[in-house]
Amino acid sequence: MVLLILLLVLAAAVIGTPLADRLLGRNAGWLLAAVLLALAGVVLSLAPSVLADGRSIEFTQPWMPQIGVELRLRMDGVGWLFTLLVTGVGALIMAYSTRYFPKGRRLGFYFLMTLFAFAMTGLVLADDVVLLFVFWELTTIASFYLIGLSGPSASRPAIRTFLLTAMGGLALLTAVVLMALRVGTTQLSVILADPVWSQDTAFATTVAVLVLLAAFTKSAQFPFHYWLPDAMAASTPVSAYLHAAAMVKAGIYLLMRFTPAFSDVAVWNAALITFGLITAVLGAVFALQQHDLKKLAAYSTVSQLGLLVAVIGVGTEAALVAATVHTLAHALFKAALFMMVGVIDHQVGTRDLRELGGLARRMPVSAGVTVLSVLSMAGIPPLLGFVSKENVFKGLLEAPGPEWAGALAGTAAVVASVFTFAYSFRFAHGTFWGSPRGTTDVREARTTFLAGPAVAAGAGLVLGLAVPTLNQLAERATADTAGGDHPAELTLWHGLSVDLFMSLAAIGLGAVLVWWTASGERLAGRTLFPVTGPTVFEALHEGVIRLGHRVGDLTRSDSPTRHLVVPILVLIALTVAVTVTGIDVPDHFGETTDTVDWLLVALAVVAVIGAVVTGSRMAGLVMVGIAGFTTALWLFLLGAYDVALTQLVVEILTVVIAALVLRRLPKRFHKVPRSRTVLTALVAAAAGVSAAMGAYFLTGRRDISETGQYFLDHSVEDTGGSNVVNTILVDYRAMDTLGELVVLGVAGLIIIAVLNSSGLLPSHGDRRVVVSRNSAAYDADDNTLIMRAVSYSLLPLLVIWSVYLMLRGHNDVGGGFIAGLVGGAGFALVYLAAPSAEVARIRLAYPMIIGVGILVAVFSGLLGYFDGSFLRPLHTELDLPLGDYAHITTALVFDVGVYLGVVGVILTALNQLGLDESRPGDSTLGIMAPTPDQPPASTPDQDPGNHPEDPLDVASNGGSR
Amino acid sequence: MTLAITIGVLVFGAVFLMLQRGLVRIILGFVMLGHAVNLMLMSAGGTFRRAQPLLGYTSADTASDPLPQAFVLTAIVIAFSITIYMLTLAATGTDDDTEDAS
Repeated sequence: MVLLILLLVLAAAVIGTPLADRLLGRNAGWLLAAVLLALAGVVLSLAPSVLADGRSIEFTQPWMPQIGVELRLRMDGVGWLFTLLVTGVGALIMAYSTRYFPKGRRLGFYFLMTLFAFAMTGLVLADDVVLLFVFWELTTIASFYLIGLSGPSASRPAIRTFLLTAMGGLALLTAVVLMALRVGTTQLSVILADPVWSQDTAFATTVAVLVLLAAFTKSAQFPFHYWLPDAMAASTPVSAYLHAAAMVKAGIYLLMRFTPAFSDVAVWNAALITFGLITAVLGAVFALQQHDLKKLAAYSTVSQLGLLVAVIGVGTEAALVAATVHTLAHALFKAALFMMVGVIDHQVGTRDLRELGGLARRMPVSAGVTVLSVLSMAGIPPLLGFVSKENVFKGLLEAPGPEWAGALAGTAAVVASVFTFAYSFRFAHGTFWGSPRGTTDVREARTTFLAGPAVAAGAGLVLGLAVPTLNQLAERATADTAGGDHPAELTLWHGLSVDLFMSLAAIGLGAVLVWWTASGERLAGRTLFPVTGPTVFEALHEGVIRLGHRVGDLTRSDSPTRHLVVPILVLIALTVAVTVTGIDVPDHFGETTDTVDWLLVALAVVAVIGAVVTGSRMAGLVMVGIAGFTTALWLFLLGAYDVALTQLVVEILTVVIAALVLRRLPKRFHKVPRSRTVLTALVAAAAGVSAAMGAYFLTGRRDISETGQYFLDHSVEDTGGSNVVNTILVDYRAMDTLGELVVLGVAGLIIIAVLNSSGLLPSHGDRRVVVSRNSAAYDADDNTLIMRAVSYSLLPLLVIWSVYLMLRGHNDVGGGFIAGLVGGAGFALVYLAAPSAEVARIRLAYPMIIGVGILVAVFSGLLGYFDGSFLRPLHTELDLPLGDYAHITTALVFDVGVYLGVVGVILTALNQLGLDESRPGDSTLGIMAPTPDQPPASTPDQDPGNHPEDPLDVASNGGSR
Repeated sequence: MTLAITIGVLVFGAVFLMLQRGLVRIILGFVMLGHAVNLMLMSAGGTFRRAQPLLGYTSADTASDPLPQAFVLTAIVIAFSITIYMLTLAATGTDDDTEDAS
């Protein structure tokens, strides 16, 4: 329970940051520090139970029981150490941040830092691999945003860091999935104890490599080490917390956590030791080369993480004692050192060693704190860093494998430590001693600013002097990882052991290196490698993007034909393949052909031939319309009355709306070469034959579907409706219908959006029909008189009829879709009859109608919750006088929503496409245009001047009355 | 047989139009393809029972399969909304040409 409270308090802190920030500004850090400190206190209070008694605190809360993923938390020794680090160091850094930033609000920073603390705590307490992965990714995301907070120059480093660590995250995810599938549970402690790791070497190796990749990217191991210095674009508190004490330790945590499973996998040992030591030496050498204090600290972190990885790779008890203690020591001195970089930067205005020097006199306390931390880093007694490093040496000497392995590993660690000593000296000496450079107007930092680093550095001294107090922790953590009871025997003085001489060698040779390189000055800035990490990364990144472009180029064409032809050809190829191999098909079920059907076949042939051969747009539209009516007749013959009616109305509306569009386009289609026509005809013929064969051989060879029969048998009893198709739409599958309604509504809104952003194509000039002033057709008002008279009386009738269709839809032909289409057709009629676009505009808020329709449908769905689920229709029988009764259902409300949605979309299309952008009165003329018996009297394009039949004249004539 | 032939004829016309130049013809092809596909859905329900699935008029044993009808009904409306959207696209810009002048 206490673990859940830990997490909940942190979550509450995350949620509370906006308020704290609003009230306290940068001082919100104090509050957050207090919270974290309290949590660290709680963790410390658990020490007797976890460390002394060797108990593990566990907590389980069901999360996703269907797949066996629970909110499992567990705190053992390793978890205890890392939780303490996250909360304790977090508290120091939060307090430090209040003085690091200038006055003002820091919402983004505090929010993300607290979120990170939450994620990191969750990560080290998670006892479920899925949970572990989620928190792992959350730390990556928090890190990305925290680096990105530093402004535009930090965006590339943030992206590079993110991509790299996210790649590691993918490796972890793969490992998680593999483990969960193999072991059959997602509980981490069970997975680790499973015998599969010793039984199946290949599996163990695969997972080990994946985990190792995740840890290497997170903990900046060679060859991924470069992201850490790169991430120094972040502000210093971020670096101190994420890139020194906590996030980079997530990799170390992962490696320690998985040691019980992998400590016998040869690849695991070899890779950790090899890459760890390469990283340790490389990082240390690079650190010595830096001018920038922060980069120096970053490379130093890389190097120290390398040592940790290597010593975990050894996997013996002594090695894991070393790993535990060094993790603690490093977190303390490195967090302090990063914070001191911030202090120096803040007080002096630079962190470049070339501009620093001789600050000890002006900043004595800072100098003291810095010296304490670099002494620990360099491994000088009596600081904690000395004890931990000595243990690392001792651990590495036990490296598995051939005899010389231990010696080689030890030597490499000593080499890294020689450089460590040198850059530690460079850090402190270059800043605080030597000749003063740059500005002399420097003051000591405030006590509140120095408190954080001073506590961290001081802890390194106190724990160093009282190092045996850490025995319990080290023993417990070792038992959790390497297993078995192993006395830690941490002490400052071991007697004249090998590791003592290694420490002495590191210090002595380090001093020589300092003298020889003038504390690194001679190495600084020199290029040791022909390439740097970020450039390699950018090159790879570019390469991947270019490759993507190459692949994309294959289909990158503006011509829709190129894209459309591919699936058609694939389908044809499939047909050919099936025809060649042949498949067994059952006989036809019942009589499938009526004589009258042939009439429709003939009609379809006529329509298609017409559509294919015509060069006129309007004729093409008419021909496709005929095909649509043929389809409607087919539907009618097949007993689908509802569908046939829908098809019929849709066909009418399509033609009306298409006519509105066609008047803006040239009269005839684009010319294409004859060869292309022949080719497309061939492809089309093959597709047609394929479709016909498919329909003939693959359909209609079984009885009516079981589902269909179920609906037929049960619809009355289930829904009270006898129009089965309608009950499917509004009762059984209402969720699908709701989805379709939304698609319809979105289409309507897109039409508005597209036309508002791009504008209509201007009406095509040469299609403008201008008739003589003397002609009756000249006056738009006069020549639409009859239609207007009819339509104004028809509209109310159509609307009433459509409402009737909707109401009876549950039992008879009708329903929301049909009713909406009929209502929409009524408006279309009014629109067509209007003398001008201005008059025709139906002043209804059509986007609103669409929205209301969808809302009504959703509302009827919510009513369903009274009976248990979304969209479940409620029924009731209403008694009427005269012994009659009516069946009332909320499905009707749903249908009203559908109705409104359909009407709204039709109104949208009519108004938007019918609108006249430039010349009022155009819409009437456009619709008259295709009528052949009104030949154009003149074309305004040929003579746009003061012609008597000037189109503007016509327009004012048409629109003014 | 007759329905299959109708479908084949419509698909021929649809594919021919869709492979032409100019968005309007592609849209017309799309509309026609919609007809063909809807008929194919109906065909999947079987064409041997042709009575309307209105239980006030027909018995449940002779009525045609209502399931494909429900599919087709919504498919028609969705296709309609896509069609008017594509028509909008054809009406914007300078021309409905889909290819560079050749």
